[in-house]
Amino acid sequence: MKKGYILKRLLRSVISVLVIMLIVFVLVYTMVPRDNIFFEDATYRKLGGKPDDKADYVYTTWEKLGYLDYVKINDYCLTLYEAGSDEMKGALDPASKETADFIALYESRGYSIGTYPVSGRAYAYKDTPILQRLAKWFGGLVRIDTIYSVQDPDNPDLERYVRFGRTPTGGLALIGSGTLHKYLLYTDSHFPFIHQNFITLNMGESYPTYQGLEALSVMFSSQGTEVKREVAFETGETSQSAIDFGSLTYKAKLDRMDTKKFTDHYANYTTFKDQTSMVGTSFIMGIFALILSYGIGLPIGVAMARNKDGVVDKLGMLFIIFITSVPSLAYIYIFRYVGTTVFGLPSVFTTFGPSDIRSWILPIISLALPSISSLMMWIRRYVVDQMNSDYVKFAKAKGLNRKEIFRRHIFKNASIPIAHGIPSSLAACITGAIITEAIYSVGGMGKMLPNAINQYNNVMIIALTFLFSSISVLSVLLGDIILTKVDPRISLTDKAGRS
Amino acid sequence: MAREEDNLFEFADFDEKESEHIAAPRYSYWKSVWHTFFHSKVTIFLSVFVIALVVFALIQPLTSGYSPTDAPNINNAEMKYLPPSAEHIFGTDNIGNEVWNVVWAGARNSIIVSFVSTAIIMTIGILVGALWGFSKKMDRWMIEVYNVVSNVPYLLLAMILSYVLGAGLGSLIFVMCCIDWIYVAYFIRTQVMIIRDREYNLASKCLGTKTFTMIMKNILPYLVSVIVTYIAREIPALISYEVFLSYMGLGLGTNYASLGRTISQYRSYMTGYPHLFWIPVLVLAAIAISLYVVGQKLADATDPRTHR
Repeated sequence: MKKGYILKRLLRSVISVLVIMLIVFVLVYTMVPRDNIFFEDATYRKLGGKPDDKADYVYTTWEKLGYLDYVKINDYCLTLYEAGSDEMKGALDPASKETADFIALYESRGYSIGTYPVSGRAYAYKDTPILQRLAKWFGGLVRIDTIYSVQDPDNPDLERYVRFGRTPTGGLALIGSGTLHKYLLYTDSHFPFIHQNFITLNMGESYPTYQGLEALSVMFSSQGTEVKREVAFETGETSQSAIDFGSLTYKAKLDRMDTKKFTDHYANYTTFKDQTSMVGTSFIMGIFALILSYGIGLPIGVAMARNKDGVVDKLGMLFIIFITSVPSLAYIYIFRYVGTTVFGLPSVFTTFGPSDIRSWILPIISLALPSISSLMMWIRRYVVDQMNSDYVKFAKAKGLNRKEIFRRHIFKNASIPIAHGIPSSLAACITGAIITEAIYSVGGMGKMLPNAINQYNNVMIIALTFLFSSISVLSVLLGDIILTKVDPRISLTDKAGRS
Repeated sequence: MAREEDNLFEFADFDEKESEHIAAPRYSYWKSVWHTFFHSKVTIFLSVFVIALVVFALIQPLTSGYSPTDAPNINNAEMKYLPPSAEHIFGTDNIGNEVWNVVWAGARNSIIVSFVSTAIIMTIGILVGALWGFSKKMDRWMIEVYNVVSNVPYLLLAMILSYVLGAGLGSLIFVMCCIDWIYVAYFIRTQVMIIRDREYNLASKCLGTKTFTMIMKNILPYLVSVIVTYIAREIPALISYEVFLSYMGLGLGTNYASLGRTISQYRSYMTGYPHLFWIPVLVLAAIAISLYVVGQKLADATDPRTHR
């Protein structure tokens, strides 16, 4: 296969992803009313009695999420007068000359002017065009940490260096100052043991659910209850804490607790928890379901083809018909009922939690059922087709025995299309299984998109769409590449003599 | 001079029509399809069952007077959680409604949505897919369209469209059609590509047949059995799609009866009042399986290789 072809396909995939993102941006940011994002916001509800603060909060939040550019008269007057001065107080008055100037200035820049309902003071806002938002999102996607990353006007004396050192847990580390992360490269006892923070993906901060967490860390960080252990901090302070030292990032305003633990400004951290992340949970479930479905689906499908119209074939067809026609919601419940009453397995994942193997059995089998049935159907189809082909008849005539023909010829050819689907099945493990996870209350990725949609968590919707669509587009490409590796006769560039 | 015996013979008329007659039995495609289809008693039984089921589901809710928005027996404790009996065939639920009525009203909407959507999806999909498979120029950019459309999260689209259009049967059908047509088109495209370059089509092209005529007369008839197979899968798939969307709270609004929402509402009674949960699930399974099996039988019958 030519290198140029893959490059071209990659480029086209990137364009596809861009178009998908544009569509999703338009859908989410223009068609969903922007007031809806506050439905799940507790802070917003508390501000019910203070209309001015509420208006300010609403616009500040919209600005933070990129909907619009928001300028308060306060900020404008602060450029003219000192904070707390008498001129400042006078200028904020709705009837003042400064207010008129402010309105005139921002109206000339295309801003709309609003006034706070109680005080009557002015503010200006301008919607950000959707393409600009998209460009900004992609611009901020890859974040490279340098010693100039932190620019804090309140802390001008921040040292800027990178040097070798050790983490408080004893691991080797590359320690930065002036960087966003304290430990740029470090080792610890957690998989995969060597971690880096030079290049991180930034898909925005989740809002209104999972507030304060980055969209990606919602999906990738551990869940459950914190795992506390005896920790010695830099200041010599020891306490029970679940801190993940590797996650330390710059914090502008330190509180008393922070200064007790840390000697510098790096005091934001995440904690270790006892359960795998959402992606991890879905992936474990998906991988085992995948192994199970190939392990069961392939041999049964082959057996069905070899005994075409026999008992095995008929039973298999019955199973396939059942799974393809009955909605998954129905058969998962039926299956769960059998599993819990006959085998005494827990009906929901949370009864024993992820550490108990019994919790996993039913969800994994439920997840594997549809892929078992489709694998059975396809492999049966392919094997039957191969068995009727001329080369097999020829091999038979030449005196090869049944087993040999089967192993060396039929199975090899029949498994080519199956191999094509493997990357897509792997990708599907990450996106999670919506129905299965909902029925068994598994804390995986499946619920993320429906929840994000129902709770108007637009940041999360965008992040998930990007993640899922790029994985799926890439897995299609990977499937095609595998296809050409497994079967050299297939060419993706149509210049192999056939039209 | 004429002999006596000659009078015994008569000249037969030369019948041009008769001379062209082929002695083999006439083959009519659709007649053979029906013949093959009704050959099996199981199939006849199943099709009668399916038609009865569908007709019943369409008519029963019109006569039952059930509406998901009102609950006449909500304050009548004696009417709640009754088990199935002669009087209440499927029992009653947590707000005193007849489960019988609730289930059929939900089934009606599921069936309407899936049938109408399948009709629209197949029409658009087949037309686009046939053109797509035929034109290599179109193929290049349609593949990218396919990449894009199939990756837009359909849950998101479903929610946003139900916002813009309001929740209802029409908007749900629209949501289903929005994404699914591309899969049908892609499937038909592949099928068309397979037979596009066969000799008889090349010959037809040389003789100057228009592309549209070629698609309609030369290619689509070949695809009838494939298309019917697809429809047989699509109808149950869309029923389960409706159920799924309603289960996630994104399908029909609360003003419409829906099997999906019924199942998701009744799921908490699974241990306490099992009939509430299992009846909708089993009715759903029965409708979907019988539609699927009859569809498959019809698909087998439309394949000329099964004709005798």
